[in-house]
Amino acid sequence: MADKNIDQKDLFEKRKERYRVLVCIDGSDESYRGLSYAAQAAKNKNSDIVLLYVRPIDQGLRSGGLQVRVARENMLSWGLELPGIKYLKKGLEQLISGDGLSANWKEKITHTDIDGDPLGDNKTEYTNEVGQTIVLKLKTAATIASGILDQYELGPYDLIILGDSGSWGGWTKSLWDPAVAEKIAMHAPCSVLIARGLERGNGHLLCTDGSDHARKMVARSATISQRIGSKLSVMSVSRDIEGEAEAKNNVNLAVEELKSSGVAPVNAFTRIGNPFEEIINAGKDYSFIVVGSTGKTSIQRFFMGSVSFKVMEYAKNSVIITR
Amino acid sequence: MNRGFDLLYHQIFLKFLVVLKKLITDFSIHFLWEKKWFFFAMAVGFFLLILPTPDGLSREAMIVLTMSIVATILFITEPIPLPAVALLIILGQVFLLGSSSTHVAKTLWNDSVLFILGSLMLAVAVVKQKLDKRIAWVIVRITGTKTSNICFGISVVSGVLASFIGEHTVAAMMLPVGITLVTLTSDDPKKVRNLAAVLLFSIAYGCSVAGIGTPSGGARNAIMIGYWREFFFDPTNPETNKFLIDYVRWMAFAYPMFLIQLPFVTLVLFMTFKPEYRDLSRAVVKLRDQVEREGPMKTSDWVSIIFFFLVLIGWIFVSDDVGMGTIAILGATVFLISGLVRWEDINSGVNWGVVLLYGAAISLGIEMKDTGAATWVATSFLEYLEPFGASDGFGLWAAVSVLTTAVTNMMSNGAAVAVLGPVVLNMAVVAQENPIIIGFITAISSAFAYLTVVGTPACTIVYASGYLKTTDFLSVGWKMALISIIIMLAAAFLYWPYLV
Repeated sequence: MADKNIDQKDLFEKRKERYRVLVCIDGSDESYRGLSYAAQAAKNKNSDIVLLYVRPIDQGLRSGGLQVRVARENMLSWGLELPGIKYLKKGLEQLISGDGLSANWKEKITHTDIDGDPLGDNKTEYTNEVGQTIVLKLKTAATIASGILDQYELGPYDLIILGDSGSWGGWTKSLWDPAVAEKIAMHAPCSVLIARGLERGNGHLLCTDGSDHARKMVARSATISQRIGSKLSVMSVSRDIEGEAEAKNNVNLAVEELKSSGVAPVNAFTRIGNPFEEIINAGKDYSFIVVGSTGKTSIQRFFMGSVSFKVMEYAKNSVIITR
Repeated sequence: MNRGFDLLYHQIFLKFLVVLKKLITDFSIHFLWEKKWFFFAMAVGFFLLILPTPDGLSREAMIVLTMSIVATILFITEPIPLPAVALLIILGQVFLLGSSSTHVAKTLWNDSVLFILGSLMLAVAVVKQKLDKRIAWVIVRITGTKTSNICFGISVVSGVLASFIGEHTVAAMMLPVGITLVTLTSDDPKKVRNLAAVLLFSIAYGCSVAGIGTPSGGARNAIMIGYWREFFFDPTNPETNKFLIDYVRWMAFAYPMFLIQLPFVTLVLFMTFKPEYRDLSRAVVKLRDQVEREGPMKTSDWVSIIFFFLVLIGWIFVSDDVGMGTIAILGATVFLISGLVRWEDINSGVNWGVVLLYGAAISLGIEMKDTGAATWVATSFLEYLEPFGASDGFGLWAAVSVLTTAVTNMMSNGAAVAVLGPVVLNMAVVAQENPIIIGFITAISSAFAYLTVVGTPACTIVYASGYLKTTDFLSVGWKMALISIIIMLAAAFLYWPYLV
């Protein structure tokens, strides 16, 4: 047992040096578009792409006492594939054929039983000679969100990519049944990308408010955009005219910082008005809006709200929350 | 000395604050947040118990009522595993109500619960016989290759089977048939989305409308029969014999309803989804190849069919003397003895928590009646309904039906009947309506959970295939629910009065 623990820790440390992207596949077009972005971000060596499909644990009580697994086993005995496997395989095909990743992959399959569920967690790992890894993972968890967050615990990731599940419902809805993307964005300890009508090639819009947190975020975004080689613009919003000078200063700071890390922003501007509305409006022309997660705790966020989360909720295009 | 003590005290206090802060950090907040509905339910329960007891309600009745309300909140919101709710009900009866443990244990088991237990074991046994391919082949042989005919054929066969052996059994059995027809038509799920919807919903709704057909069609039917017997039957009074609803009598009430609903299933589905392929001949040819590879029927196949029919005959003809539960258990035992099913398969295929859950719910329902809580709720509920003209006659029927449909879409239909049964039956008594008609309306309306994935077992199982979206259930479900309610009210108005 002790040995195993050390191994885990070792693995964890090793993984920190790699660029690891977790892509949550749910079969929607959006999630596959997010995947092709992941391929871009994890193009060079020492990077891993993990494709994850989370299946909620079957609730035999809902099916009248007959476990859903009876039906599943029956499906398997007819030679039919379960839905998650199909989605993951499609993702793998897309990565290997469409997104220009090398073709020589070695395969390794592992399986773990979870909570007495025979399907449990299944993992197929593909590695190529350059050192890239693609992992297909079929996971069983109580809820989809907790499955994704558990997956983070297994190995740190630099970026989680999700398709927008399309059920953002404001405060009351989130009290009852928060959307998966919302939960992940709140709790994940790394940057989260929410793909929403994702079109590549229009560059990133970086929003800064001059706080320490936002400055760290600037450095992180520089790495991300370097990885995919996309253009970068910077903006800052002040609530009124008096604040404009400060906003300009914030933008300049960010531009300096970006230049020092080797990325020259194409555009830098300020706006006056309600931050989250201005950000959403300006962001329409870009592929992504990049916002920093405010360093607030969940309780503070609950009572005061946060510009980042509002942007994430209401923006029409894709959003990256950096941490 | 004193100062040193103060300092120590101060340090301890600081330490305490640090620990407290740690406790209130994310982990515990998340725990409380995840379990919020549990604490909410407990708070409601506590609040109701310290309230002064309303007029006309005894202290015991108040406790039982509180337990029912708390259990209902937990059933719907599911913050804790549902079997744990059942355990809470048992604990509540002993600790809050002061019943003896032996008494509570006795109320947990009766023929209805035995029936649920037996029919679930039987369900696994039937699915494991793998007769699905043969059934599918028989269906397409009769219906030909037109999509609409195949769908109608599937819902008829699923329905007829489900009306006897339960909807979950047939849904589990027929699901691969539907999916195979879809995948044999096209590999790309996007090209056959609507086709998948009509085929799979034909199975799900075919099974759902059939579950009401006979007492063995679903747990809720057995529960309602148990309530009638428990509440109204008095062995010393021959007048009350009419409250013993036997198998054939139930079928006389409900089977025509199921048959009338069947054509509407296909109709509504084809109105909602336009399948991409009007003809499935390619898939049917491939399906025939698959069936032919299985070879001719084996002896074990015939034996299992014979067992199945013996159980049916037992239910129809002798279940009134020995109990439906006994027949179900006999059937499961015969399958086990003959070696047609392994105990391990049954053990892993049945969620035993359901048996516990229904046992506890029925036990609570009986307490509701015994303490007078059910009568009190029924009376107050009728007072609310009076201004709407729904306190008696047709209005009451419609109100009961709508109430049951609403509740059953939020929790499993067996639990819905177990919780609502005592109240609606007492409403019938207070309003001087026939408890049998009101009971049928409740039991049958509980099958109208077409709107959500969790509503009926068949829907849950079919959803597990991954071919349907939750929104599909909404877009087609409301039409089915509307049609079903109209058909049922028509039956209650025009047909049932001749039977009681």
